[in-house]
Amino acid sequence: MQKKKNAKTIMHIDVNSAFLSWQAAYNKQIGVETDLREISSVIGGDKRKRRGIVLAKSIPAKRAGIKTGESLMEAKMKCKDLVIVPPNYNLYIKSSKALISLLKEYSPYIEVFSIDECFLDYTGMEEHFGNPVDAAYMIKDRVYKELGFTVNIGISTNKLLAKQASELEKPDKVNTLYPDEIPKKLWPLPVEELFMVGSRTKPKLNKIGIYTIGDLANSDFNLIYQKLKSHGKLIYQYAWGIDDSPVHYTNYIPFKSIGNGSTIPFNVEDRETAHKILLSLSETTAKRLRAANMQCNVIGIKIKYSDFFSISHQRKLLNSVNTTRGIYETARELFDEIWNGKPIRKFSMRLSELTSCNITQMTIFDKKDEIKIKKLDKAIDYIRERYGNRSIVRATFLHSGLEPMLGGFGAEDYPVMTSIL
Amino acid sequence: MKILNEPVDMIAIFYKESGKIKPFKFRYKDTSVRVEKISKIYEEKLAGNKRIVFVCIHNGKDIYELKYEVDTCRWFLFKK
Repeated sequence: MQKKKNAKTIMHIDVNSAFLSWQAAYNKQIGVETDLREISSVIGGDKRKRRGIVLAKSIPAKRAGIKTGESLMEAKMKCKDLVIVPPNYNLYIKSSKALISLLKEYSPYIEVFSIDECFLDYTGMEEHFGNPVDAAYMIKDRVYKELGFTVNIGISTNKLLAKQASELEKPDKVNTLYPDEIPKKLWPLPVEELFMVGSRTKPKLNKIGIYTIGDLANSDFNLIYQKLKSHGKLIYQYAWGIDDSPVHYTNYIPFKSIGNGSTIPFNVEDRETAHKILLSLSETTAKRLRAANMQCNVIGIKIKYSDFFSISHQRKLLNSVNTTRGIYETARELFDEIWNGKPIRKFSMRLSELTSCNITQMTIFDKKDEIKIKKLDKAIDYIRERYGNRSIVRATFLHSGLEPMLGGFGAEDYPVMTSIL
Repeated sequence: MKILNEPVDMIAIFYKESGKIKPFKFRYKDTSVRVEKISKIYEEKLAGNKRIVFVCIHNGKDIYELKYEVDTCRWFLFKK
């Protein structure tokens, strides 16, 4: 546990099976006696709307072999008396915010990494709250007492090691992983436990005889670099615990693209309905794009047919856009080019090659009313911000039975998953 | 004591100086109950949901709990 001078102290706080813990804490408050964490239970989508996958699971459910991401039907087959709870995203956002405001009492430097994870820069706070391990225990116990759920805390000198540390032992634990503990604690783990090594990289590494993180760290760097290029360099550094990314404590969220998608409760078989669904996706996606003060240059759509075969298509634009109409028009063209007339179950849309709104390259092909439309979008966004998403909707959705704004779960402020430290 | 967590109609006093809240009278299953004595007040924020809890005493011996949910401005008879 020795620490170099001037070294930082970073904590990584991770909520144990977040969605489920939050629901359990809420149930405790409203007086439900069974604790979801102690029985086989999962948080899953609505089966009738066909959004039936496991989002989070309790530890007894994990023992029954249930995995996150599999369908509720499969999960039910593995465990007969499984309790399925529908998701409640507003509750998750409330819980996440309460956690962050509690953590802010310990350090002003907090990076919200996702809805259930954050980094806390503890450097220089020892004078106030004692050594990091004691402080971490204090934070962990306070979170449980006041907010009613358990967290894992990892402590180290950089963000990568702190994150790896918090995953060493679960749940409700405080773990350290200082650089001198790497050979003992990090290296014996299987290589896929390392951040940024996923299902695609693992077989490539296994093929050249690398099974643990230690194997990776002690292998020939040139070999790794040759096989995996810059990604190889990154994971080789990670295996040695090298990472110098700062704690982004302002609300800085780096992202490369924005996308929304939704599974439709019924099969879509006609072009008109499909266009409406694309319009409602454009509404939500474009709103997020504008809220980030960005515009996009590439628009892509993806559709999944009822037989689970999916197809995608994208196009680079002549000039960047961020208007709902501009995005919808391109999306509609893309859709008409790829659709083969078969029933569709899922639509998604992705906007990429983002640039700032502050500088815009005009073209002579700009639409005539572009400025007017931009003003209209701005006004609509403002109304929706203030009075809710349903306060102003397009007339085409009236009596259509379709959602006027599709996709997303109201947690746009939080990336649910990210690979950028 | 039984856990109920049932919403109730409430008359409460919101003090102008301190901003404190005092439950006065509530209706539960068509009977109105006057809050006689409050023995303890605390705040809970389980799962980030703020509630102010009032532990009250009825007839000098029966203990029950009232909760005020801050976000929704609703009163609950929690335990009786």
